[in-house]
Amino acid sequence: MSDEGSGRDHTDIAMWGAPGSGKTTLLAALSIALSRRPQQDWRIVGGDAPSTDFLIQNTLALSGVGEFPEATKDRNRYRWTLLGPPAGKNGRRRGKPAQVTATRININLMDPPGGSFGDSHHLSTADKSELISSLEKSKGIIFLFDPIREFEKGDAFNYLFAPLSQLASQMLASSDKYPDGKLPHHLAICITKFDELRVLQTASELTLLTTDPDDVHQFPRVPQDDAAQLLQELCSISATGNADIMLNTLTHFFHEDRIKYYVTSSIGFYLDPMRKVFDMADPVNLVPHAPLSSPSAAEPMPSRIRGQVHPINVVEPVLWLGQQVLNEHANGSPAG
Amino acid sequence: MTDGGGDLLRKALTKAIDELDGSARLIVVEVAADGMTTFTLHRDDAGTPRGHHGPVTPWNIAGEQEWEGTADDASGKEAIVRASGIRSHASVILICSFPDGLQASRAMEWLREARPDAPHFTKAHVPVPALLREILADEPLKRSYDLVVLKRDAVSGRLELATQPLFAIGARRGQPVRVRVRCEPGDDRGTAFAVASWQNIQPSLLSVQSAVLSPGRHEFWATLERPGVVRFSGLPALVPDDRRWEDLVASVPATLDPQIGPAHLICAVEVSGSSDLVDERLRRVRQVVTTCAGALPDRLHVSLLAYGTHGFGRGEREEPVEVRVWHVSPKTALDSLSGLELRGARPEGYPYAVQIEDALHEVHGRLGAGTGDRVVLLTVGGRPPHPPRAEARILPCPHRHDWEDLLHRLRRRADLTLGAICDEPEERATPVWRTLGEGARAHLEVVDIRRLCSDLGLVASAAQRIPFPLYDP
Ligand SMILES: Nc1nc2c(ncn2[C@@H]2O[C@H](COP(=O)(O)OP(=O)(O)OP(=O)(O)O)[C@@H](O)[C@H]2O)c(=O)[nH]1
Ligand SMILES: [Mg+2]
Repeated sequence: MSDEGSGRDHTDIAMWGAPGSGKTTLLAALSIALSRRPQQDWRIVGGDAPSTDFLIQNTLALSGVGEFPEATKDRNRYRWTLLGPPAGKNGRRRGKPAQVTATRININLMDPPGGSFGDSHHLSTADKSELISSLEKSKGIIFLFDPIREFEKGDAFNYLFAPLSQLASQMLASSDKYPDGKLPHHLAICITKFDELRVLQTASELTLLTTDPDDVHQFPRVPQDDAAQLLQELCSISATGNADIMLNTLTHFFHEDRIKYYVTSSIGFYLDPMRKVFDMADPVNLVPHAPLSSPSAAEPMPSRIRGQVHPINVVEPVLWLGQQVLNEHANGSPAG
Repeated sequence: MTDGGGDLLRKALTKAIDELDGSARLIVVEVAADGMTTFTLHRDDAGTPRGHHGPVTPWNIAGEQEWEGTADDASGKEAIVRASGIRSHASVILICSFPDGLQASRAMEWLREARPDAPHFTKAHVPVPALLREILADEPLKRSYDLVVLKRDAVSGRLELATQPLFAIGARRGQPVRVRVRCEPGDDRGTAFAVASWQNIQPSLLSVQSAVLSPGRHEFWATLERPGVVRFSGLPALVPDDRRWEDLVASVPATLDPQIGPAHLICAVEVSGSSDLVDERLRRVRQVVTTCAGALPDRLHVSLLAYGTHGFGRGEREEPVEVRVWHVSPKTALDSLSGLELRGARPEGYPYAVQIEDALHEVHGRLGAGTGDRVVLLTVGGRPPHPPRAEARILPCPHRHDWEDLLHRLRRRADLTLGAICDEPEERATPVWRTLGEGARAHLEVVDIRRLCSDLGLVASAAQRIPFPLYDP
């Protein structure tokens, strides 16, 4: 950070998601995804020792052994900085290459242990204050929606959207910082685990799948504009099925044009090492893996990653948010 | 014929015996040094010449004293002639083997007087019993001798009593003949080897001997010891069987299960998993092969496939389905099974499915057009196959084999029966395993092997016992 004094608490992007929604994995994959970019323009670095350790260990585990990060046990706060290509004021170069400094985007991850939000969809007081402070401090929020949790528990959507909306309305009511009646944040809503068969199939049934002609592996994608439709469909499968209402509610508190939807996968689809082309008949990149310690048959078996990790839409939401934050810095408009 | 060489005597006896017919008798009286012996010869129901003799009648029955002096010839003669039994319709031959004896010569005279028609021979020391035995034994067969067998109608499976020729009319003792039959499991006495002689269409039983034999083809020798006695060699522990013929015949089932023809048993066994489980599966395969080999001797071919999990994880190698043996004898298959048992289980691997689809692919490919033999595919395992395309939580088969299609093709074969021994009990078995066990299914822990094999048509149902050997062309 250039301004060292206030830098420690300065957050550009906050990340939220239910336990097990894939927050930690997304971050581990972010580092892989960045290094896979042909431009090699962005890097991620830890803001302190534990955060650096986290990155190194989880990235290695994910791409090397094929292991997912362990469920977060403690109330962790990780701080990372994305270092990108230098940008001049207002995005214009001044022709002084010697002076360039890297563009920085700070990511602050609140990584609460699974289940700390309780099972009644109500946040604990501590979590509420944490969430409020994160909303107040950050300019962009990455929100993870776990479709698998939605399939299995039917509450992934409600899990955080409901408290988030509640908090937003409280903030709007109690403060006059928001004259236009909306929170100024940019919101990247990420549907995670796109690689899971049920998610892929839902997208396929809705004919939302496309491929990037430049992608040699021909991995399927859901275009940005169709992501919200997939989200609605995924939510309508759940018992509660009030996703459209919730999505409308969200636009009461945030600017509609500051919300973007992404269909993401941290690990990506399986790629046969011989064929090297995506095969719709065999897309799943997970393989069940029995831990040696607990041979209990009752628990669903944990998974390992089957092949290479090919993250999908992991960098995009982060960079989009980062870009928005940078723009605001550049424009000098106060974010909150 | 007051005198004659041994040859003449032998010829006369042989001729007289040969002429014996129906209920006719031949009486041969030997007059010897110490008394007189009467031999009676006849043919029994089977046409076998039989002979027996009474006790020696000592000369003193005619009264010792009288013989010495002025004896009352009439009473002595009467006693001798009556004891000899020659006053009958039977043909008679008289032999004096002690011409120098006074009493013998006298008796001979009396007998000749009583039956002047009877040929008589005088030859010192001729061993009449041995001579008769020899003549009886040397007689060529007057009827053919056959072994009683069962013939099975190829289509209906119906069993019929039939015979397999052993010795033709005119056959003489000594020459062994080779016999080949097939045996099915009999009752606790085993299989009855019955020899019958035929006259016109009437058989009559010569002898029944039984032995408990391993089911299957048996080859042995039959030797004619003498008329009426056939000795079998090359069959273990034959004992005379005193069961009534009617009972034996009544115990022949109407049919021999028509399906129990030659068969090809293909065992596909899952070798991934805990070693206890895999050991148990292999043990079951062994039991099935052993049981069927016993029931289908010489008619069973066995194939053995070992399948396991696909290698999906990182660093896991894909081990293909192993065709251990194909269409070999049960013994070779059991040897190969021992190899599997020694090698032990492959790791648990991918938990939700195994290479059944690859095993089906192998079987389908190798079976080809079919040989006419029945085929039984017995799958022994627990996990389902992989689908050809990703489906629910199960990864697809790396070779994209389609078990449903393969099973469909296999089931269309008229010659194929599907059987399964599943780790899971009936109520928990997946639909795939129901299809795999369409013909017969059992739970690994409680398999009634005999029942399973009989449901698969590989062994006769327990009640079916075949008391006679089967004709084996
Ligand atoms: N298929 C698939 N599964 C994923 C992906 N990312 C995460 N998961 C699964 O989700 C589980 C939880 O992922 P985490 O990254 O630990 O989730 P989290 O949100 O950090 O969870 P907590 O730390 O418990 O709050 C992982 O163990 C994986 O099984 C993904 O991209 N694809
Ligand atoms: Mg976590």
